[in-house]
Amino acid sequence: MQQLNQNFFSIFELPESFDLDLERLTSKYRELQTEVHPDKFAAAGEQEKLRAVQMTSYLNEAFTTLKTPLKRAAYILQLHNFDTESVSQNDLGMDLLIEQMQLRESLDELPKDDSALPQLEQLKKDVTNRLAEKRTDFAREVEQGDLTSAKKIFHELQFLEKLLTEVASGEEQRLGY
Amino acid sequence: MALLQISEPGGKPTTPAHRIAVGIDLGTTNSLVSASCGAGVEVLPDASGNYLLPSVVAYASDTDPVVGSVARAQSTKDPKNTISSVKRLLGRALSEVEQAPQFKQYEFDAERGDGAPAIVTAAGVKDPIQVSADILQTLVYQAEHSLKAKLEGAVITVPAYFNDAQRQQTKDAAKLIGLNVLRLLNEPTAAAVAYGLDSKEQGTVVVFDLGGGTFDVSLLRLQSGVFEVLATGGDTALGGDDFDHAIVDWIKQQAGFQVLSSTDEAKLLHYATSMKHQLSNSEEVSIEFNGWSGSLSASDFRDITEALVKRTILTCRRVLRDAQLEVEAIDNIVMVGGSTRMPVVRQAVEKFFGKAPLTDIDPDKVVAIGAGIQADVLIGNKSADDFLLLDVTPLSLGIETMGELVEKIIPRNTTIPVAKAQEFTTFKDGQTAMALHVVQGERELVSDCRSLARFELRDIPPMVAGAAKIRVTFQVDADGLLSVMAEELSTGTKAEIQVKPSYGLNADAIEEMLKVSHENAKADMEIRALREAQIEAKQLIDAINSAREIDGDLLEASEARQIDNAIEHLASLIASGTSVQIHESTEELNRISSLFAARRMDLHIGEALKGESIDKVEQ
Repeated sequence: MQQLNQNFFSIFELPESFDLDLERLTSKYRELQTEVHPDKFAAAGEQEKLRAVQMTSYLNEAFTTLKTPLKRAAYILQLHNFDTESVSQNDLGMDLLIEQMQLRESLDELPKDDSALPQLEQLKKDVTNRLAEKRTDFAREVEQGDLTSAKKIFHELQFLEKLLTEVASGEEQRLGY
Repeated sequence: MALLQISEPGGKPTTPAHRIAVGIDLGTTNSLVSASCGAGVEVLPDASGNYLLPSVVAYASDTDPVVGSVARAQSTKDPKNTISSVKRLLGRALSEVEQAPQFKQYEFDAERGDGAPAIVTAAGVKDPIQVSADILQTLVYQAEHSLKAKLEGAVITVPAYFNDAQRQQTKDAAKLIGLNVLRLLNEPTAAAVAYGLDSKEQGTVVVFDLGGGTFDVSLLRLQSGVFEVLATGGDTALGGDDFDHAIVDWIKQQAGFQVLSSTDEAKLLHYATSMKHQLSNSEEVSIEFNGWSGSLSASDFRDITEALVKRTILTCRRVLRDAQLEVEAIDNIVMVGGSTRMPVVRQAVEKFFGKAPLTDIDPDKVVAIGAGIQADVLIGNKSADDFLLLDVTPLSLGIETMGELVEKIIPRNTTIPVAKAQEFTTFKDGQTAMALHVVQGERELVSDCRSLARFELRDIPPMVAGAAKIRVTFQVDADGLLSVMAEELSTGTKAEIQVKPSYGLNADAIEEMLKVSHENAKADMEIRALREAQIEAKQLIDAINSAREIDGDLLEASEARQIDNAIEHLASLIASGTSVQIHESTEELNRISSLFAARRMDLHIGEALKGESIDKVEQ
């Protein structure tokens, strides 16, 4: 790791791809941490200490981005100059919107006590499976160089991740956390 | 003296390269100091051979402060000048602590401008930083006497759930006595180091730290000497004290005591504490009190403390969830803090995780030992290659945006050090200054989070609303301390602060805030929607009004009246309507004024095109 604007994939010496070797990512991250972490510069001058804090912060951001599938997908699109923040009508098909609405409704209709826990568990499974399928689709589109389709799938992933968070927080509320 | 020490026969062989650094566990009830001594890290005793230094300081007008067991012994004789539990005052405001039962006997200085809970003593007014500094000073003497060398630095432990202000003030206390702080280390992380390094352990470990007044849980992954904290959680209002009070309540109920004198209350609490200790080794304890006699069995104790134990397990569950791990993934559980000696706690932990927790290191010493190991690494004695700690932020950090909403910038459980940048923009045309308000907490509204600092970015070049780009960078260092920098991108105007507020987050409120955060997630969302609708509506009204100042003559009288009515209607809804009503009415105003907007557009495009050549326009 040399500078503060290095490509995240190249920091970890990984090929630029959505499918990545998480174990290699993690072991490389640890190896780099032992080189740049501020603890290694406890006796150094202020300048070097500050540099260590900045480098480690950048390394942590790179690691979190690549480790988290949705952030990794967004990063790949950004590398190809796509604005992941903006969504146009073209990005979202009508069938997708209807599917999402149905999933959301099935969440809202569940009873508000812990009797809903088995259904929430099932819903979690369904959404997780769907996420896995869509991630495979995303990886394929990136591999084939069709980033416009990849961007559409990215927005579907966003919907599904959001839904999964809501299912989880619905579960937490019913468990009394 | 120094020369004599080097050649002292029989003394520990000290090579010049060996530098002296200690680990300090600065506790609510007791404090400890440790250092590397030959084979490993050991807790250093005082002159009488005691390892625990009671965190009590006694002040007098004619002598230096007295710290430790002597101070504790005189606390009943001179309560006003004997300060204990000062850790609970660090980073707090006077208003948060003056009603707390353990601080009732003190006279707080109400005149102070900074709102800190400073205590009036015979030796003058003492704030929590000064009292903590006196405890640290005693530990430093104890260590220097024991090691016969001058200290070069220390690692001081803090609860993982300590906020920015509490961390900052702990560091300030060390600064006050000229002690070089190598690192602030989270207590559960220190405990994991003590266990992990000893046994060369690999895998995923939960540290369960139940002290006298606080509870911390951390989940770590240990691999090839790297200790990576995956998630941390806690309950700053749960500890051994609560188990004592449960026994008190049970006795009162059994004996039918209605009202007790305050001396009897204190006596009963004292009995309860000793019954709790006895129940760790026996099945039943009998009690006689004010003519009533009875006995408390281990199973009664289990029943009356069930709710408390359940709370500790809920926190474990939440931490597992934050780390996205199942119970089966946990290889070991480390027990820290005197309260983990209770069998009810150990059994509940064993049942939840499906394996017996590790208890082989004295739970009172384990944090200090871990701090000593880290100190030895940071001062450069131990090779740093075989050991690295990666810790996380316990609470989310964010910034106040329009409508008193919080924009989270660094979510809780993010690995530190971390830097995050976020861009903000101006809200009004020609706005030249922007106030930034930094908060800590999990809720969506500013008023429900802890205010950390406010600062102002000035000299923003006047631009239309939304054109300025202000990048705010949050940097949390390895001690968990925050600094914030703001920069206007088009001109490079900068503002930077180290967050250093006069007091910190009410630690008792943190867990409450987390809990309520989940309960209120829905209410927050509704309030958020309302605030957003209000802002959107105000922006539209402002835009129409300023457009009419310039191009009002483009409107016919009837159109102007129609717009006036719609604005009036919308303004009344901003004050009292729901988000849906405001939104609909905003849409309506937008529709009514669209013709006006279109005319303005035509006019201004026409003006802009004057003098441009045709082929340029076509491009």
